Amino acid sequence: MRKKILIRRFDPETVDESFLQAFNVDLPQNATILDALIKIKEEQDGTISFRKSCRSAICGSCAVTVNGVAVLACNSQFKSISWVEGDVIIEPLGNLPVLKDLIVRFYPFWHEVEKTMPWLEPKEEIGEKENIVSAEDVAIIDESANCIMCGCCFGDCTIRETDDNFMGPAALAKAWRFVGDTRDAIKTERLELLSKACNAWDCTRCNLCIDRCPKGVRPLDQIVRIRQEAMKAGIKDNKGARHALAFQSDIKNHGKLNETTMPLKTVGIIRSLGMIPMALRMQMKGKVPFPIQKDIEGIKEVKKIYKIMEVDE
Amino acid sequence: MKYAYYPGCAAEAIMKEADETTRQVARILGIELIDMKNATCCGAGCLDEANLELSYVINARIFAIAESMGLNSIMTICSTCLQTMTKINQELQSDPELLERVNKVLRKTGTEYRGNVQMTHLLWVLVKDYGLDKVKKHVKRPLNMLNVAAFYGCHTLRPAEILGYEDPRNPKSLDLLIKALGGKTVDYRGKTRCCGFHTLLVNERASLKAGGKRLQEAKDKGADCMVTPCPLCDVSLDVYQSEAEKLYQKKTQLPVFNLSQLIALALGVDVSDLSFRKHLVSPKKIISAVIAAEG
Amino acid sequence: MVTHDLIIVGAGLAGMRAAIEAIKTPDLNVAIISKIHPVRSHSGAAQGGINAALGNAAEDSIESHTFDTIKGSDYLGDQDAIEIMCQDAPGDIYELERMGTIFSRDKNGRIAQRPFGGAAQPRACYAADRTGHAILHLLYEQLMKGGVMVYEEWHVIKLVVEDGTARGVVAINLLSGKLHRIRAKAVIFATGGYGRVFHNSTNAHANTGDGMALAYRAGAPLMDMEFVQFHPTTLKSTGILISEAARGEGGYLLNSEGERFMKKYAPNALELASRDVVSRSEQSEIEEGRGIDGCVHLDIRHLGRDKILKLLPQIRDLSITFEGVDPIDEPIPIRPGAHYSMGGIKASVDGMTSIKGFFAAGECACVSVHGANRLGGNSLLEAVVFGRRVGAAAAKFAEEAELADWSESALKDAAAEIASLLNRIEGEPYPKIRQDLQKMMIQYVGVYRDREKLETARVKVSELKARYENVSIQDLGDVFNTDLLGALEVGNLLDLAEAIVEGALNREESRGAHSRTDFTERDDENWMKHTMAYKAEEGVKLDYSNVTKTKYEPTIRKY
Repeated sequence: MRKKILIRRFDPETVDESFLQAFNVDLPQNATILDALIKIKEEQDGTISFRKSCRSAICGSCAVTVNGVAVLACNSQFKSISWVEGDVIIEPLGNLPVLKDLIVRFYPFWHEVEKTMPWLEPKEEIGEKENIVSAEDVAIIDESANCIMCGCCFGDCTIRETDDNFMGPAALAKAWRFVGDTRDAIKTERLELLSKACNAWDCTRCNLCIDRCPKGVRPLDQIVRIRQEAMKAGIKDNKGARHALAFQSDIKNHGKLNETTMPLKTVGIIRSLGMIPMALRMQMKGKVPFPIQKDIEGIKEVKKIYKIMEVDE
Repeated sequence: MKYAYYPGCAAEAIMKEADETTRQVARILGIELIDMKNATCCGAGCLDEANLELSYVINARIFAIAESMGLNSIMTICSTCLQTMTKINQELQSDPELLERVNKVLRKTGTEYRGNVQMTHLLWVLVKDYGLDKVKKHVKRPLNMLNVAAFYGCHTLRPAEILGYEDPRNPKSLDLLIKALGGKTVDYRGKTRCCGFHTLLVNERASLKAGGKRLQEAKDKGADCMVTPCPLCDVSLDVYQSEAEKLYQKKTQLPVFNLSQLIALALGVDVSDLSFRKHLVSPKKIISAVIAAEG
Repeated sequence: MVTHDLIIVGAGLAGMRAAIEAIKTPDLNVAIISKIHPVRSHSGAAQGGINAALGNAAEDSIESHTFDTIKGSDYLGDQDAIEIMCQDAPGDIYELERMGTIFSRDKNGRIAQRPFGGAAQPRACYAADRTGHAILHLLYEQLMKGGVMVYEEWHVIKLVVEDGTARGVVAINLLSGKLHRIRAKAVIFATGGYGRVFHNSTNAHANTGDGMALAYRAGAPLMDMEFVQFHPTTLKSTGILISEAARGEGGYLLNSEGERFMKKYAPNALELASRDVVSRSEQSEIEEGRGIDGCVHLDIRHLGRDKILKLLPQIRDLSITFEGVDPIDEPIPIRPGAHYSMGGIKASVDGMTSIKGFFAAGECACVSVHGANRLGGNSLLEAVVFGRRVGAAAAKFAEEAELADWSESALKDAAAEIASLLNRIEGEPYPKIRQDLQKMMIQYVGVYRDREKLETARVKVSELKARYENVSIQDLGDVFNTDLLGALEVGNLLDLAEAIVEGALNREESRGAHSRTDFTERDDENWMKHTMAYKAEEGVKLDYSNVTKTKYEPTIRKY
């Protein structure tokens, strides 16, 4: 098959601006994006630069953006890139500074990973053999252990795109790998760190990381697990935890969310005052409902559920 | 066609217009929506973080309400309700032990979930169940002057293995619907990305910037307006648009419609019933153009 | 110029394990240099397992592991080294586990073990079918924990040896294109294998045997280079590895007649005979007309969906993605492919080479624990055991050694070599030379060899080397010049190919992975010896050395 491929070029030594360069290339039916890049480099333009190594989706070297979607070049066959209509556009991974063509600097990615103390802090010395760990306890960290650190999730992460301080999905999934490890001695310390600003609670749950991950790590699911464990550990003095608890109490008290009081519960009174001009504009447009909402009809049943389940607040 | 109707908290309060116009659209198209008076909030993916087990029970109770109404399909107009409830429902349906545990609690409140409910969304109802050809027949005011940016957002698409209706990297439903209403669609980077709503109260700046970016991406590709299938996206993109503009120091002023508003407009509902005055970014010019074209 | 006490080149299992051991020496300044980021290393692609006689799945002993390894090596492995490896194995595995490796577990919560080829007992400890990945990432975690300095994406182009002593290396920082002298009291190479010499290979693009070639040029002998392992199960269209675990868990090999043909070749062990035996059997089936489109079938359907999803998830993904076959429903088309270099830089059980202060560990070294054929599950083990041992030995050496100066010429020579490449306007692009080499090597130096093929190969290698004299590249920039890197790698492959061909041509017997159709028997009388290849003025100079035997007498090898 003959394919027209546009590659984003950037040479830090000669040009200031990146540009798209078109190539036409003949490829076998089951060719991958990486096959195409290699063929173009070896037969048409040796200056095209990209990373590659294992070509079997385990080393994580070759992540690129194909028509807006971060993928591993090596396991993306042309026939499988369903979202591409028309020319194939290959660009560097997002959210990382471009070094040359498709090669990005990975330093910021690793910097975030390292922040999470990504190593086991073992509990006190056991005997001479291995720790005894049940298969079920392994299963809970199995998904996060699949991570190959390719950066696909990071490259397309919504919050990383708008906040350089956000750790990003891979670092958080890696963090869960230790929080969830029964052999680790500093779970609470980890959860406290991860509950701080720009960490686990900042994620907007867009699910892009789950979509992008080539290894089934499901980073968002691990982020939610971190949040749940942090709540269980009683680490609740932060906006994210308060927000989640506000849902719990609103449902109990009214059945529905009280949007008027939600900001107050989540961000606290001082920050809420800062939102007043915005609130006034909304008020003028008739957007703000009466603060005291009518409870749902079956609120008694709901309260009973909370009582049976001994939900404490 | 008959659905248990679950508008979700936002459409019952801050985005009341989404609920109102949905009811009008349903009336015109002959889709019967039955209110679920006892239903609570679904927890929006937050309740399960505070208390996972509780979130199963709370949602099972909602599903049980639909069953007790003799209905097996709940239609929502909120993407986040759709995703939250679909996910929990699938877990309940695929794990008999979990369902039994949940029902043990529910039975004490006099109800039970038998696991027979499916979740759907207005968008899916129209594209899958009702049919766009039929929608087309009801169009009174074709939107042919408008370049509409379809904003799918996240929770009607992802995760695909839970929602599973269309390719999350190349969705078509909303674009097809816009075309059925006579409008032109705009292709832009942000259409399957995130409005930032769910971190609005936690990381406000990042959230606003996310929404603002989506608006810029659409505007740069020549969009006259944006349409979303979710009242939470509406809040981020319309209500907070001016805040995002401040952060970027760049005006977008892109009117954002809820899906049901845009349909109602095309179906010829009296403009005064569409609550356009509630928009923070005024869609006045666009509406005038559509009306003028109607002649 | 940068100075460290100990420089480790390569950051796969052996290199990182060495670093983690070396930093236990107080105040020792240790750094790693790697042309790719540590977690991109090819150790991560190892799938099925790591051997140790833990006895978790069935009664086992170090003795049994030792014997299986010696037999697997077709009696070419050095028995003292093998004894050390098997003896150390359980302790090293327990240590990895306690550092945090996520192993799969048995019903008692102990490390799970599965059967592997050539092993009498289920001995391969595993993490589903991602064992290498699990350990690679674990070691990188430990590297971060220890704060080890890593020169990431620096490519070493010269091992500097003066007065018979290693003084350091010259490396290019790929990010800037600058050449650097890195001085050290001790240097460890843990640079992996040379699988990319061959066209059909399970190996990563990066596996170009750089360290072996640099050591060879610096005067260290390469040992037993003719012994190249062809893995029996690599995907038909891409050569991507399908783990031995697929057979370990009970997979069948089938020919075009649907026959489990291994019963003809290894009536007892069947599919779990050692790799050389299985690869040869497959090749024979294919050449005798009982193949299916140039391959045979690996059938795991009878294991059932649940077992496949739980124990072999990665090989299922790989089969679907790269072959379009879901092994739950269909057999996987596979063929033998180049996989592992039994040979390498001659090294002692503490990694010492013939050059003072220069050590080697892992696949790039030849200790020799694999002899003529490596058993599945022993490569990760070798990397871990000898990584640790060599890390300790090199640290001790560095602690006691004096830092020596080196002459200016080392950097100048290296710079001149790079400059000549960058300044050559006309010439032959390197990719074609590499492709021709790879195709030639699989054709003439593959599973089955004979004099005629090997003599042809010898001529062709020298032709290719002549062409390489005139190699050229298109990218003349400084920043991340992958074109320059590619050309340098081809130069390394050519030197290694030469050593492989010479060793194979000279060894007139069949032993382990070296199978001559003109000399079909093992010849212990004349060939129970290691090949040493030295770089000579013109081509290769061969020499031989004895195999160390402790108590295991060579016998006929049958599975």
